[in-house]
Amino acid sequence: MGCSSSLPDGSARRLSGMDQDSAVAPDAKNLRVKLVLLGDSGVGKSCIVLRFVRGQFDPTSKVTVGASFLSQTIALQDSTTVKFEIWDTAGQERYAALAPLYYRGAAVAVVVYDITSVDSFTKAQYWVKELQKHGSPDIVLALVGNKADLQENREVSVQDGLEYAEKNGMFFIETSAKTADNINQLFEEIAKRLPRPLTS
Amino acid sequence: MDAASSNSVTFYDFLDRMRNPASIDLVGSIKSFIVSFSFHATNPVNDSKRFQDFLLTMESAIRDHPLWAGSSEEEVEQALEGLEKYVITKLFLRIFASSTEDVKIDHEITNKINLLQSFLKPEHLDIPSYLHNQSSWLLAEKELQKINASKAPREKLMCILNCCRVINNLLLNASMTENRVIAGADDFLPVLIYITIKANPPQLHSNLKFIQLYRRQSKLISEEAYYFTNLLSAKSFIFDLDAKSLSMDKLEFEERMEAAKASHQAAPVEPNAALISHHLTNIRGPPSYPFMDAQAEELTVRDVETLLSLYKDVVTKYTSLRRAVEKLNIHRPEQIVQKDKIGSTREVESEKVGIERSSAE
Ligand SMILES: Nc1nc2c(ncn2[C@@H]2O[C@H](COP(=O)(O)OP(=O)(O)O)[C@@H](O)[C@H]2O)c(=O)[nH]1
Ligand SMILES: [Mg+2]
Repeated sequence: MGCSSSLPDGSARRLSGMDQDSAVAPDAKNLRVKLVLLGDSGVGKSCIVLRFVRGQFDPTSKVTVGASFLSQTIALQDSTTVKFEIWDTAGQERYAALAPLYYRGAAVAVVVYDITSVDSFTKAQYWVKELQKHGSPDIVLALVGNKADLQENREVSVQDGLEYAEKNGMFFIETSAKTADNINQLFEEIAKRLPRPLTS
Repeated sequence: MDAASSNSVTFYDFLDRMRNPASIDLVGSIKSFIVSFSFHATNPVNDSKRFQDFLLTMESAIRDHPLWAGSSEEEVEQALEGLEKYVITKLFLRIFASSTEDVKIDHEITNKINLLQSFLKPEHLDIPSYLHNQSSWLLAEKELQKINASKAPREKLMCILNCCRVINNLLLNASMTENRVIAGADDFLPVLIYITIKANPPQLHSNLKFIQLYRRQSKLISEEAYYFTNLLSAKSFIFDLDAKSLSMDKLEFEERMEAAKASHQAAPVEPNAALISHHLTNIRGPPSYPFMDAQAEELTVRDVETLLSLYKDVVTKYTSLRRAVEKLNIHRPEQIVQKDKIGSTREVESEKVGIERSSAE
């Protein structure tokens, strides 16, 4: 069982050669962003990230990426680059209390649920409340309804997701890691919403 | 990768430059910083801030210094690594595990892990069987147990990263052979917790706090910060661990903990046993020596790595045990206390080399 094998959508804007850490402090043109992933086990967090990070590669190539920490740099229209450093968190209930250690200092939190599971949507709302209470005040929050390809099993309507997100000042998107639908859009939209350091 | 040796070459290069008469101003700043530390009562937050600020000041001083004129970014980096190691080694006794509170937490964690070791199984953390791999686990444990081999924050952090790298490789291999999705943190964290319990690394709490406070801030980011956070999180999980934390019957958990406590208390306790406990930290933990029943002809070249690591393990334990026994026989307790203070981590070369110049002064 893998994260599906359909072709990724044709965004040619990933810059994989640029991933090495530079010692220079991030400037207005090159942002380094800590992004933490939250959500129940099984909603598709790993697949979303693998799709985003490895999408352009031949799926059979052995990519030695860390299993839980991944980074990917994208270029925006205005020639700025954003390097996402993606922190995965353990979704099992027994580790819930540890989450603050991971989202401390994060610029972005992506809260994922599975549109075929109301329970996962309830859990997502729990994380949103947590983040509002304990996350950094200027954190960018995204709510992601994944597995949008499974329309016939949908339990959470687009409307419910959207309303909840709007009420909480979050960015909302439905994705499918399986078909790659909206995966790049998710990260591009996040990049646009990042507070920019002032150019000096 | 030969990080250790290239590391000490770098460090000697730093010391060499500091012996150069042209660096007299830098040496002056370093010395007065070290001396100024003894003017204040220890306070981890202030001390850390002062040290981090000092590193930043020195960074610009080095960048502007004639001795580094035309140097690459890498050379400046190496100088800063050398500086961190040098200063921290000098201040180590003052700043490492400096509060009784920290020492107490270290003891509590060590003791709790000792109890857990006697009954905790991978199943209790729902670690899937395709991740059960004794030789990988053993390698990861050994990396973590090296954490006191150096006083430098960078090298301590390296032990954590090396341990996590071994676990990551295990996860990657498993996902390839099993042809399944890489589960990410869902698999990684439970394995790290289990490894941490098996390894019972010395002074876990103090080491983590020390790295957080004294690793150069611009270096505790990205992947390093992620894996560091995972060990922090493993420590926190273990510290708070109760029956609800495990896939285990509540009553059974309590009985096992009680039984473990009883058997630890039943062991004869020498009055000064605690004082030499650091000599023994390497000896604790259930050993697993998978080759005890093996025949030579069954072994393959691939076993060499594991065998070598087991060999080192046995020799280390034997050496620690012998040292501990010698201490018990020869020294009186007071002397042991003293030894404990200076010898609680292996001396590193930097202690013995000063940046004094014989001719220039
Ligand atoms: N149909 C469908 N299945 C998905 C999608 N994303 C993930 N999955 C499947 O959901 C399961 C869990 O995915 P995973 O990424 O491991 O979830 P995580 O626990 O949140 O990291 C796997 O079997 C995936 O193949 C999706 O967009 N559509
Ligand atoms: Mg996952």
